[in-house]
Amino acid sequence: MAGTSGDGPSGAGPNGGGRNGGKAIGLRVVGKPWKKVDASAKVMGETKFADDIFLPRMLHCKILRSSAPHARIVKIDTSKAEAYRGVKAVLLGKDLPIPYGILPVSQDEHPLAIEKVRMVGDPVAAVAAVDEDAATEALDLIEVEYEPLKTISSIEEALETSEPRIHDYGEYGNVHRRTAYEFGDVKAGFAEADFVREDITFYEGSTHLPLEQHASVGQFSPDGKLTLWSSTQDPHYLHRSLAKVLGLPATHIRVIATPCGGGFGGKCDPFQHEIIVSKLAMVTGRPVKICLTREEVFYCHRGRHPVLMATKTGFKRDGSITAMHHRTFLDGGSYGGHGAASTFYTGVLQPTTYTMGTYKFDAVRVFTNKAPCGPKRGHGTPQPRFAQEVQMDKIAEQLGLDPAELRKRHLVPPHSLTCNWLKIGTTSLGKCIDKVVEGARWKERFRKLPHGKGIGLACSAYMTGAGTAIYWNNMPHSGVQLKLDRSGGVCVFCGSSDIGQGSDSILAYIVAEVLGIEPFDIRVVTADTDLTPVDLGSYSSRVTLMTGNAAIQAAERARDLLAQAAAEKLEVPANRLVFADRRVVDMENPEKGMSFVDAVWLAEAKFGTLGTTGSYTPPKAPGKFKGSGVGPSPTYSYCAAVAEVDVNPETGWVKVERIWMAHGGGQAINPVLVMGQVEGSIYMGLGEAMMEEMTYRGNRNVVHKFPSFLEYKSPTTLEMCDVVTYLIEDDERETNAPFGGKEAGQGPLLPVPPAIANAVYDAVGVRIDEVPISPDKVLKAIRAKAKGQEGRYGPTHFPSCPMPEPIRVATPWEGGTGEGVKREPALAKA
Amino acid sequence: MFPANFDYVCPASLAEAAQFLNQHSEDAKILAGGQSLIPLLKLRLAAPQFVVDLGRIAELKVIRETNGGFEIGSLVRHVDIERSHLLARGCPLLPETAAEVGDMQVRNRGTLGGSLAHADPAGDFPAAILALDAELTAASAIAQRTISAQDFFVGILTSALYPNEILTSIRVPKLGPRTGSAYVKMSQQASGFAIVGVAAILTFDEKGKVTEARVGITGVASVPYRAKKVEAALRGTAASAKEIAAAAALASKGVDALSDIHASAAYRRDVAAVFTRRSLEKAAQRAGRK
Ligand SMILES: Cc1cc2nc3c(=O)[nH]c(=O)nc-3n(C[C@H](O)[C@H](O)[C@H](O)COP(=O)(O)OP(=O)(O)OC[C@H]3O[C@@H](n4cnc5c(N)ncnc54)[C@H](O)[C@@H]3O)c2cc1C
Repeated sequence: MAGTSGDGPSGAGPNGGGRNGGKAIGLRVVGKPWKKVDASAKVMGETKFADDIFLPRMLHCKILRSSAPHARIVKIDTSKAEAYRGVKAVLLGKDLPIPYGILPVSQDEHPLAIEKVRMVGDPVAAVAAVDEDAATEALDLIEVEYEPLKTISSIEEALETSEPRIHDYGEYGNVHRRTAYEFGDVKAGFAEADFVREDITFYEGSTHLPLEQHASVGQFSPDGKLTLWSSTQDPHYLHRSLAKVLGLPATHIRVIATPCGGGFGGKCDPFQHEIIVSKLAMVTGRPVKICLTREEVFYCHRGRHPVLMATKTGFKRDGSITAMHHRTFLDGGSYGGHGAASTFYTGVLQPTTYTMGTYKFDAVRVFTNKAPCGPKRGHGTPQPRFAQEVQMDKIAEQLGLDPAELRKRHLVPPHSLTCNWLKIGTTSLGKCIDKVVEGARWKERFRKLPHGKGIGLACSAYMTGAGTAIYWNNMPHSGVQLKLDRSGGVCVFCGSSDIGQGSDSILAYIVAEVLGIEPFDIRVVTADTDLTPVDLGSYSSRVTLMTGNAAIQAAERARDLLAQAAAEKLEVPANRLVFADRRVVDMENPEKGMSFVDAVWLAEAKFGTLGTTGSYTPPKAPGKFKGSGVGPSPTYSYCAAVAEVDVNPETGWVKVERIWMAHGGGQAINPVLVMGQVEGSIYMGLGEAMMEEMTYRGNRNVVHKFPSFLEYKSPTTLEMCDVVTYLIEDDERETNAPFGGKEAGQGPLLPVPPAIANAVYDAVGVRIDEVPISPDKVLKAIRAKAKGQEGRYGPTHFPSCPMPEPIRVATPWEGGTGEGVKREPALAKA
Repeated sequence: MFPANFDYVCPASLAEAAQFLNQHSEDAKILAGGQSLIPLLKLRLAAPQFVVDLGRIAELKVIRETNGGFEIGSLVRHVDIERSHLLARGCPLLPETAAEVGDMQVRNRGTLGGSLAHADPAGDFPAAILALDAELTAASAIAQRTISAQDFFVGILTSALYPNEILTSIRVPKLGPRTGSAYVKMSQQASGFAIVGVAAILTFDEKGKVTEARVGITGVASVPYRAKKVEAALRGTAASAKEIAAAAALASKGVDALSDIHASAAYRRDVAAVFTRRSLEKAAQRAGRK
């Protein structure tokens, strides 16, 4: 494409939706329920997922997975498998010795186990054969001899067991990460409080359960170039990992993210099978496909961390929080993955909803011989949010205040800095609370419903995109290229991957809005490392904001070129031109104008081949201390929810009747898609609150109890509650977000579990301080209460772990600079 | 996953099916509605050489009224039982139970014989079959025999059938006057299988005393069972709310309760008592308790 980007006049038309400009009025595409660009293919079954790809002479891959939870590999004999009918290649760990991992600090994975296995399900050998049956049968012929090692199956066990170590890196023993921060003088904060309470809570692990199992096809061309089609959320990070492990230059690798049948964070990491089929394609010279079985998807996991939490909070009579000391233990499973980031996320967003004077946060992640945990919708934050929102309910009761009122009194103000240096943009949390309070008739019903019926409230905040990339670099987080052709068609190229949330459609809507054409006139090419500029991927609710801003920039640059050419012809100033209804017209003289196509012709004649680019880099975070990269975001979304439950006091059975959710997401680019994300989040939150569990057999075998859809409990349409969704706009436009549109995909999950727990308390007067809130726990608590004991079910013990000196940072109101506080050398020694 | 390769056999008659099974009893699996067998094949927990489809054997698909009762062919589907007018009038416990099984798709395909032969400890029909004191008929190429419901369930996924036997029919009595029945359950959320399922039948004499009480319980133990202690406690009483509650408290007495992902043994015991009480209450009301 000719380099015409960005050097035109900056005469954005008055109807333009610039990052800072654009008013809600006059929007033609944004804010309207346009059809998704891929909707018809999806509903007609025409979408080609990775497993739908069939290439000539394609081989099929199957992976032999460890049956031992923790063992040294003594011997592997593959001779029989190699000789088996149809088998073309067998791979072992030694064939791919270079380690990898999504985070630079946790390069602890191998495509196939090298010396030892760390969990049941760890890949040990891979076979490529002419068909799936032959590959499956050949696996049975591979003989592996294991020498069992002591297994580690819980947080406590990991803390107590220094040997054997699951990994030979990390803090010590089986402790992977320790993180400690102190913002402001927490001791003084507690001293200032009228009351202090500590609550111990537990949040069970759960998995993503995408309907599409992970699938990949690798192809190695005779000219030495590799192509990998894969159901991945992050083609860019996968691209980098492939280059590293395969030892190929990244320039010779092309990753194409296929339409994704659900991700939810479960397809963010580079996975073993993606590297394995690539290598097998290189070895055999034939295309190689794998589609994981459902059981294997459970082993890939990377889902919700089980987190044990102790939250100590100091507060005044009016409910203002003077200090919080929040401690977490994460059961990380067998690998690092995103875990170092997850560790931060179990604490870093606590101060983003209610004003908090001082804050101390200690987090510890341990290794266990279970499927590795990682980023699942809400990445690391639903757990601490549960702890905080349940505790807020208890604080309100202790103070005799209405929980909705209590929260509203202490809302984090817009455009403020939190005690841990997060920059809050616009917020509509107060409006969100008002909306659900009104919808649920809260004031008339809270604490007034008959025994067995109850309502509970909780709130949340969530990032709209992580402020820092996963590997350190100075480049944009998202790039968009536009190509305009003589048909008047516009093609958008972007590295983002649509995982069902509609990110492809967002690109079309935004470009259509700026150029005054229809979304249907736009073709979208995404997630292909050869064709599209880098976008970091579908995670951290970043895509709409970052690709949207990049798309606005690219489209505005294109519009400027067209405006210049049209202005010349129409003999009016370029800044008087309006782009609408596929036309370019003089706003002061609307008869004067031309079609969009004519403008493209004129511009191509004037400038040559038309192409523009746009990029987005998030603003610099105000915090400058070590570790301040996790938590900052261009802006935060806010949510409030009320849950209504019916609890049977005889059986402990909880039925969630309805959830009212107000989602403060600013301007919805497409309200139907936002509603879909809110409802999906409620559904997933309901599953975590009520039934979902990644559980393992209690003995030393650490075998997953039910790696199948048959028995893993997750709500169906029958268990789904009624949902009332309110989309709440900000009073003022969030200037960091495209047209003021914030995230929608993760935040609304967060308040669901605590709202339900609080509703159960309202219904039957017992506190269930852990999820899932299963009937047996409720019944136990009811029975205990009837006997005059504490009406509570939940953890009572919090293990101890030596913590490093925290990184100390003064709060903004203590006059801090955002830097870590330098400590006197003498003091440090003492 | 796809099932391992197998050969599909579809005999035209019961005799032909019995003959085939006699020859291949160790390597063959009977296919009825497939609602339990197909998942087992797909998970490769079963990999038989032959799958013998009973689908063409028409005589196994009929519900007939007999002397004092009904004979239900083993291939009669859950949905047929659910909608049978004959059973609704004479043995309403079965339609009530059928309506509780899984979901519509499962009920449209699954069969009574398959449910019983599969002997799932959380299946619904075993409870009803026990409470009804049903008789099950099994046929092989060599012989035909009758097995009582109480002898039929042997262990988890194990029935009293031999590998070469076909369950052909199930005989249940017609419920008499002053008799009420009920089936209630607490189900697992994902599948609908019973955590606790209780089928109860109560018969009163003219004075309002219980002459006969039969209670079948599924989901609680590895084998569905008759709650004889509950039955004994009720006989001769007026089945007042208090008497029912006292009897129901014995629902899992002396039983080894299961502990699994769905519920702990203690929880099962707790809710077994609750659901036994509810089931007996319903049955007593339906019998016209005085
Ligand atoms: C999603 C789902 C939910 C379910 N929920 C429930 C529930 O809530 N409650 C419940 O009770 N059940 C439930 N089921 C199981 C269902 O009831 C099955 O129909 C039943 O267990 C098996 O009947 P079938 O006809 O499908 O038998 P098949 O699956 O065909 O066979 C089951 C077994 O019985 C053997 N068999 C079948 N017929 C005969 C015969 N005539 N003689 C000898 N052996 C025979 C087969 O060889 C096989 O081993 C559920 C199943 C599914 C898939």
